[in-house]
Amino acid sequence: MNDASYRRHPDLRLTSLEGEGVVLHLRERRYFSVSETGLVLLEALKEARSFEELVEGLLSEYDVDRETAVTTTRAFLDQCLASAVVTEIRE
Amino acid sequence: MALSSAGDPVPLERVLHRCSPMPAISGVASNHPELEGAICAWLLESRMPLPRGLDLRVDVVDEVPRFEDAREIFPQSEVEIRAGEPLGWVHLTWRRAAAVARIEATAPHAQVFLSREAAADVDLLLRSFLLVTLIFLWKRDGRYHVHAGTALDTRGRGWMLIGNSNSGKSTTTALLAARGWQVGTDDIAFLVDAGDRAGVLGFRSSIALRSGGYDLLGKEGGLPLVARRKTGFWPEELGSSWVQTVVPEIVVFTSVGGERTTLTPAAPAEVLHALLRWSLWVMFEPTAAQEHLDLLSRLGRQARCYRATLAPDLFRAPGALEDFLP
Repeated sequence: MNDASYRRHPDLRLTSLEGEGVVLHLRERRYFSVSETGLVLLEALKEARSFEELVEGLLSEYDVDRETAVTTTRAFLDQCLASAVVTEIRE
Repeated sequence: MALSSAGDPVPLERVLHRCSPMPAISGVASNHPELEGAICAWLLESRMPLPRGLDLRVDVVDEVPRFEDAREIFPQSEVEIRAGEPLGWVHLTWRRAAAVARIEATAPHAQVFLSREAAADVDLLLRSFLLVTLIFLWKRDGRYHVHAGTALDTRGRGWMLIGNSNSGKSTTTALLAARGWQVGTDDIAFLVDAGDRAGVLGFRSSIALRSGGYDLLGKEGGLPLVARRKTGFWPEELGSSWVQTVVPEIVVFTSVGGERTTLTPAAPAEVLHALLRWSLWVMFEPTAAQEHLDLLSRLGRQARCYRATLAPDLFRAPGALEDFLP
């Protein structure tokens, strides 16, 4: 994942309520829940971000160790890539 | 949304009894003067602030045009919706009779073409096809439809009842009116920005009760809505008054059933999903989608939210819904 950057689909809209996030996918007319961490990652992915930038973002936002941040980011990205919520950009 | 009704058509002349002399609204026009009068009367009666720059043209035509539009269809009760990219503008098709609407992507401008059959039952046309058209037009002016009822209790607290057409909203709204609560709407509400809070505008129309709700309410009178097989009560007929804007402090997601009324606190994720479900217009096009979504979450933050099961014991409780708050 090191050479790639990632960006969320432009038709996503996000909101949250007491730590629970909801993502609206306007192109696909569906909505789904995300965790607070997922919401932070998706907010960051409004712009193209490398995997490392996303991990650093989590480390600055939450009191977690690097291994946890890497695992969380990888799992969330994989899920988002599989459902076309996030796209991978290769330079 | 359940905008359907059953029964015989309501002829134009009967609708026009309500609106003589025919009112006019700048921005609303038709090639059918009586229809234009009925639309204007309905809008004026609703007391809804009209979208700024409204341009609604409703023509009765011999042949309803067909728009070339390959976008996916989203069926909503009686209306099919095509919206979003790549065309931008919204295209509505009525399933009841030949009728289409073309709504501009960002401005409150719509052109509606009706067959004579579609124009024959004006009451149904207004409540179904034209209401959906107007929902898109109001959206372009920062007013976002929610399938909900609204009321102010005797202490001035705002309540919002959200749910489908068979979830007890109208019957409960009628009960609340009879208990001295002010009522905004039993069914057609619009979220608006009220500073740091979400406000809700009520579309003024009579509270329409099915026979079961009418029996529970136990009030004589009301206006028979024959085609809808309902009885309509204005809030004033129930000893209440109409209130246009409610800022909800309590939101109740309603359903009916069982022997006892219960209100249970709803979890945040559940609240957001339920609000989206009953304000689905946010899904159809990018126009103002983020503003709409933000208002829904603001509503969820500002209000205490409950899942409710409504039962006949609600009618025996002196404080109505208040008595069941945890």
